[in-house]
Amino acid sequence: MNQSAANQQISRPHKGYFATLWSDVRKDWDLYLLLLPGVLFLLLFKYTPMYGILIAFKDFNIFDGMSASPWVGFKHFEKLFTSDDFALVLKNTLIISLLKIVFLFPLPIVIAIMLNELKNMIFKRTVQTVIYLPHFLSWVIVSGLFIDILSTNGGLVNKVLVHFGMEPIAFFMDTDYFRSVLVATAGWKETGWSTIVYLAAFSTIDPQLYEAAKIDGASRWRQIWHITLPGITPIIVLMFILRLGNIFEAGTEQILAMYNPTVYKVSDVIGTYVYRMGLGNQDYSFTTAVGMFESVIGFILILTGNYLSRKYLHRGIW
Amino acid sequence: MKTASSPSAVSVAGKSKPKTGIRPTLPERIFNVFNYVFFTLMGITTLLPFVNLIAKSLSSEAAVISGIVNLWPIGFQLGTYKFVLQDAAFMNSMKISIFLTAVGTALSLFMTTITAYPLSKPRLRGRKWFLLMFIFTMLFSGGLIPTYLLMHKLHLVNTLPVLFLPAMVNVYNMLIIKSYFEGLPDSLEESAKLDGAGNLRILFFIALPLSLPVLATIALFFAVYFWNDYFNAMIYISNPSLKPMQLFLKELLLSSGDFMRNETLNVDAALNTSPQSIQAASIMIATVPILLVYPFLQKYFVKGVLVGSVKG
Repeated sequence: MNQSAANQQISRPHKGYFATLWSDVRKDWDLYLLLLPGVLFLLLFKYTPMYGILIAFKDFNIFDGMSASPWVGFKHFEKLFTSDDFALVLKNTLIISLLKIVFLFPLPIVIAIMLNELKNMIFKRTVQTVIYLPHFLSWVIVSGLFIDILSTNGGLVNKVLVHFGMEPIAFFMDTDYFRSVLVATAGWKETGWSTIVYLAAFSTIDPQLYEAAKIDGASRWRQIWHITLPGITPIIVLMFILRLGNIFEAGTEQILAMYNPTVYKVSDVIGTYVYRMGLGNQDYSFTTAVGMFESVIGFILILTGNYLSRKYLHRGIW
Repeated sequence: MKTASSPSAVSVAGKSKPKTGIRPTLPERIFNVFNYVFFTLMGITTLLPFVNLIAKSLSSEAAVISGIVNLWPIGFQLGTYKFVLQDAAFMNSMKISIFLTAVGTALSLFMTTITAYPLSKPRLRGRKWFLLMFIFTMLFSGGLIPTYLLMHKLHLVNTLPVLFLPAMVNVYNMLIIKSYFEGLPDSLEESAKLDGAGNLRILFFIALPLSLPVLATIALFFAVYFWNDYFNAMIYISNPSLKPMQLFLKELLLSSGDFMRNETLNVDAALNTSPQSIQAASIMIATVPILLVYPFLQKYFVKGVLVGSVKG
């Protein structure tokens, strides 16, 4: 590969960039042709909406269209930062997302380490098969399962509560409990699946390290602490950056499938708010501004995280 | 911590003991027991909601309404499943979902693969820029409203293609396939070239057959995505005859239980089945396809995910 590239440059030293580009395209025209549909789809379905963000700076009216609607500058952003709705939605988003990070980010790491310690392969495979499964269910199905099991009318959990002399709780209707329901069900659905990344990371650790540690008499606990954990630290950091970049995505699909007007106050997040106000009330410009706020901050968070990770851990997402 | 462990490993190297490895210490044995108990409980917790749901779907109306069904059906009947499977609206939504899953999976797998292949060739000029262009869309997006307005302008709202066209190139899956292609030996391509094969021939007759495990994995991911998607349908589809199953189910679930009532399925009053059982049966029917393919595909997708995640 390298050699042929070098030969090309020697044989045609005076050609400009575009001339070389042209000869490359002629030689591999079919590769470029394969790439074309993907690029066109990207331009149409991903980049056109990015251009559409401009309506956040206009008073968009669907009948006038994009170009005829008047520019209004930062009007919608001013409204955003003074609106009570937005303050509430931002607060909910951050609370739910942080709860999920605190409770659900470390869990797969711990579980992956524990899974790794299972010596009976049949048991291990069975456990893995079972705990990966919920990942493949839709949020609608998961909410169906839990609406049922948490209901006040014959739900298993409430039966247990009543059995121990407690009051039944309408988990899906109770503003005190609804966020816990969101976190717990997200944990139920994704914890098993999230272990895969860490299990993959274990396989990259040099087995000789464990051999050496055993000869030195290190217990399993010390091996976990001094070999396994440091071995997967880069992956943990990477996953954490990705998670932080998504901090404004508190789980829109999940919440839309689970919430109802009685718990809007504690569970309306940016994504659900944009859905309800944007499409429901056709408040296009304002909700685009809300969505843009979410995208821009998320983007900055990911870039920052990646920069820090490259600087201190010499490993980034790209 | 060198109590019982070290002798067998170091001193008795000459005497070949049948047991390999080191005997666990007491804390280790306690941990092992704890570990097995923990994962047994975790497995049960994962399966419990299903068992409960199956029991409800198979129980009689009286038993379900009085709330006495736990993990075993009471007043066993199959009428609920019969009822759901005969409901025209439910079956229509299922047909829509099957169509979406089949067409969506085939098209997106094809599109994603042909996009991944050129990008896996280091000699492709401009590769870096193309890659950057793709990856950027993972980090930043126009958001819901501008995307909706685009679909509106393209007259895709309330049509089925809106549910698969925009999903045809999935950047994350593309990167997984690309890294798999990059792992194929260069010599294969070179020898095929010497035999006069062009790029397309190499892709379809050499690279693709060698990539079946990763393609199967990605196909599964796409299939699960299209089968499970309700969000896009909720945004773009209001015509009842075009609603896929997940959206249909969502409306069915929110229509009763702890929520307010609003008939989606027309339950015949004379029928010996409760709305709760009907919901339960519908959920089970929607889940069965995944439960059926899942164990067979597991070995593929785990391998596929590992390829993708380790390379990142």
